[in-house]
Formats: sequence, structure tokens, C-alpha cells
Amino acid sequence: MKNNNFIQRSIIGALAFLKDLIFAEELAARRGFLQSLDPRIKLATFLLFIIQVLLARNLQVIFFLYALCLLLVLISRINLLFFLKRTWFFIPLFSLFIAIPAILSFGLSSVLPFLMRVLTCVSFTVLLSITTKHFALLRVLRIFKIPQIFVMTLGMCYRYIYLFVEIIEQTYLAVKSRVGTFVHYKNGRSIAAWNIASLWQRSVKLNDEVYKAMLSRGYRGEAMVWNDFKFRPRDWLWLLVVLIMFVTVSLRGAVGDEAIFY
Amino acid sequence: MDNIIFELSNVYFSYPAKIPALNGIDVKINKGQKVAVIGANGSGKSTFLQMLNGLIFADKGKVNFCGRQLDEKAFNDGKFSLDFRRRVGFVFQNPDAQLFCPTVEEDIVFGPLQLGLDKNQIQKRLEELITALNIKHLLDRSPHRLSIGEKRKVAIAAVLIIDPQVLILDEPTAGLDPLTTRQIIDFLIEANSNGKTIITATHDLHIVEDISDMVYVFGREKKIVKSGLAKDILNDLPLLQENNLVHIHRHKHEDTVHIHPHLHLDHHGDNH
Repeated sequence: MKNNNFIQRSIIGALAFLKDLIFAEELAARRGFLQSLDPRIKLATFLLFIIQVLLARNLQVIFFLYALCLLLVLISRINLLFFLKRTWFFIPLFSLFIAIPAILSFGLSSVLPFLMRVLTCVSFTVLLSITTKHFALLRVLRIFKIPQIFVMTLGMCYRYIYLFVEIIEQTYLAVKSRVGTFVHYKNGRSIAAWNIASLWQRSVKLNDEVYKAMLSRGYRGEAMVWNDFKFRPRDWLWLLVVLIMFVTVSLRGAVGDEAIFY
Repeated sequence: MDNIIFELSNVYFSYPAKIPALNGIDVKINKGQKVAVIGANGSGKSTFLQMLNGLIFADKGKVNFCGRQLDEKAFNDGKFSLDFRRRVGFVFQNPDAQLFCPTVEEDIVFGPLQLGLDKNQIQKRLEELITALNIKHLLDRSPHRLSIGEKRKVAIAAVLIIDPQVLILDEPTAGLDPLTTRQIIDFLIEANSNGKTIITATHDLHIVEDISDMVYVFGREKKIVKSGLAKDILNDLPLLQENNLVHIHRHKHEDTVHIHPHLHLDHHGDNH
């Protein structure tokens, strides 16, 4: 039983990943403030926020931006507790371990600016990703002159991950239904290897079919992609508000008394 | 002669490792015709359709489209390739292979964008199609989250938006419930009445009469064993039995076990 856990845990992990992605897609489809913005404007303004967090020399500026981020969470119809769980999870991962020597030597207050900086940047990044559909984010990449074929390939990877996770799940259940719950680790290894080979063969076959389907609809080596993004007045208004905020906060932050250096 | 859209003469094709898939096929398909291709699994139907769509090429023999031979050389000619793809649309058997974009909307417009259609025209056709097929609510969805019936409708929309003269469909009703099957068949009949040539491969004998003026039966030898009108083919029980298209049905009449061949000609089950 114990020896079988590795495969079972991997399958459960893959399914959890799938469900997480689906849930994130549902959040992105809600009718909230950030969800209603054009993804290009949203990405640009969030980049401004992150730059501001990175450049801020005043802790109050970072607190202000973090509070703004939480306000955006609320008006985008996202559960605050869910958001906090998701963002605070990253903090020990990225920063707390790095800061342990400083905490031990100078106390927690010495690393507070560093932690707040990481927390705020992570929060804005997570907020952007959960309020924007993944395919829209991919399409926005074209703003950065990333070749269309690259964006398209990423989009196709995203689309087929689901299919393969489903196949893995079904294969696992089919194996389980035939061999029961206990498998000797040697057999378990060969079943896993066989499944990997089978999945590889399926993906090669699917790859051939997808390419034929692309050719059949006129693909000739350079993909043209649909761009139906439209700027609306609210997008321009939001951009204006963020720019004013950026300039104001930058000026105030630059002359703040409590300069921080982390 | 001018009316012939596809002409295949003595066509052979093998997959790598020399697995034969077509063994001497002779077919003529006219403009505006409805053609059904029936046969057991592995009889070469899908290979035949892919050859009609210029995705694979004959090892031996000729495949002509409107008088021009379909081979790699023809598709290296950008003008011909573009024209052919605009005129011939193919709905694949596996919708997961056909729907490869992150959203339904992107998938439907993929074809016309590659073929250089005007964006306003694409938008107009998109609106018409999603209304006709009742899939407007699916546009923002990812294809993996659709039911099999929805996937098939989207796959058909993705081809119809190109407005091809010839529509080739590989098992368009496989795995569908009766209502969705009927909707798709009605849509194909309507497309045919608007002048489109419809070529369909299927196992579903109950749809054959609706979707065909001419039926080709592919046999185990990977060649056409019979062709003719749907009613003649469907009444040839030995032929259907020989080609795994009917099965032996066993049931009880009071205490007597009754065995006879069983044809699926409709959904009501009274055509045994």
C-alpha cells in the first residue's frame, strides 16, 4: 500500500492542479472590476504597481499599495480569505528562508520592508493571474513582440494539459480497477513506465492529427491569430487614475523620511 | 466532366511500416452530391477522407480535384493550396485534435484567419454560425470543457465558417445523443440543399439514407466492395453482415430464444 502512494500522490497532485486551473478560470470569468478591464491595460497598470513597490523607499508607500491590492480583490468579487491564503503561501517560500539570518541577527522588524515588498509584488501578480483568463494573458504577450507562433504554442500546451491530465486519471482508474489497491513496487514501476510510454504514443499521434487539422484549415507555417481586444472608456479612466497615483506616490515616496533599503 | 469534383483512379496508400490502408480505390464524386462512406473500423474510411482533403497523398494511382492532381507538388503552389483549403473543409473524427486553440471563439476563427478572409466578414459569419448552431454561450469556453456534442458542433462551425463548397466529415455523429445527431444531420442536409457537396464517413446506418445520394462500402481488404443508392445498400443484408455493419441480435419470445441479424436504421428500433 505504502509503495503505491507515490503514483497515487502524483495523480492526485495532477488532478488538484487541474481543478485549481479550472477554479482560477471561474474567478477570471466573474463580473468584477478587474475582470472587466482590457487585459493589456490591466497588465500595464499592474507592472506600474510592481515597479512602484520595487522602487519605493518608504514603507508607507508599500503598505498603501498592499491595501490598494486588497481593495481591488474585494471589488473584483474574490474571496479575501482565499486570496490571503494563496498569497501568504508564497511568502515563506520566497522570502522568509532568505531572511532567516537577518531575523536571527537583527529581529523581525529589520526584514519587514523586504517581506512587505515581496508580499505586495506576489499579491499583485496573483491578482493579475486570477482575474485574467490565461489565454488572454498569453495574447497580451504579443505586446512585447513575442512571436505569434510562440504564443500559439503556449496556448496549445495550455489546452492539451487538460486532455492529458484526464487521460492520466482515466488510465490510473483503469489500472486500479484491474489490479486492486495493492501493487508490489516492482509491478508498480513497470505499470507506471508502461503508462508513460502509452501517453507518449498518444501524444505523438495527437500531435500528427492536430498538425493535419491545422493544415486542413489553411495553416501555412505562420499562424494568424484573432485579436478582439477593445479599449473602453473605463480602461482609459483606470489607466489615468493609476498614472496619477504613480506620479503622486513616487514624488511623496522619494521625499519620505523613513527611507528603507531592502 | 465539368461536374466532377473528385476523381480517384486505382489509388493505393500505405502507412509507415507498410501497413496498407487503401488498396485500389476508384471513385467519382460530383458537385453538390451527398456521399456516404461506410465500413467497419480500420477499413480505410478515414484514410480515404484525409486523401480527399490533401493531407496525405497516394503512393500509387491518381487523386484529382476539379481536374488537378492532388500531390505534394500541387500543395507547394501557394495559390492552389489557398484556393483548395477555401473550397474543401474537413471535420475530423477526433474533435480534440481539431479544436486546438485555448477558446472556442479562437478555434472557430482560426481557419478564415489563415486563409486571409476579411476580419469584418469573419465576425459576420461567426455571428451567423453561432446563432444557427446555438453555440453562442460557448465562445469564451475552453474546448476541453465542452461535452462531446458541443465539441462536434464547434468543430463543424470551425469548418463551415470558411464556407467551403465541399464538406468532408469523419464520423460526425459518433457518440452523440439522438437529438444532437438529428440537429447535425439536419444542418448537413440544409448545407447540401444550399449547393454544398457533402462527403461523410459513418458507422451509423440510420443516418445513411439522409446524408447520401451515393454510398460506398469499404471492406476489410481496404477497397470498395460495393457502391450504390442507400436503399439498395441497406437492403443487402449479406453485404452488411460480411462487413461488420450489422450484428446478430438475440432475444426471447416467451420461452423461445430468437436470433436474427439486427440493423440500426433508426432510433425507434422498429426496423429490425
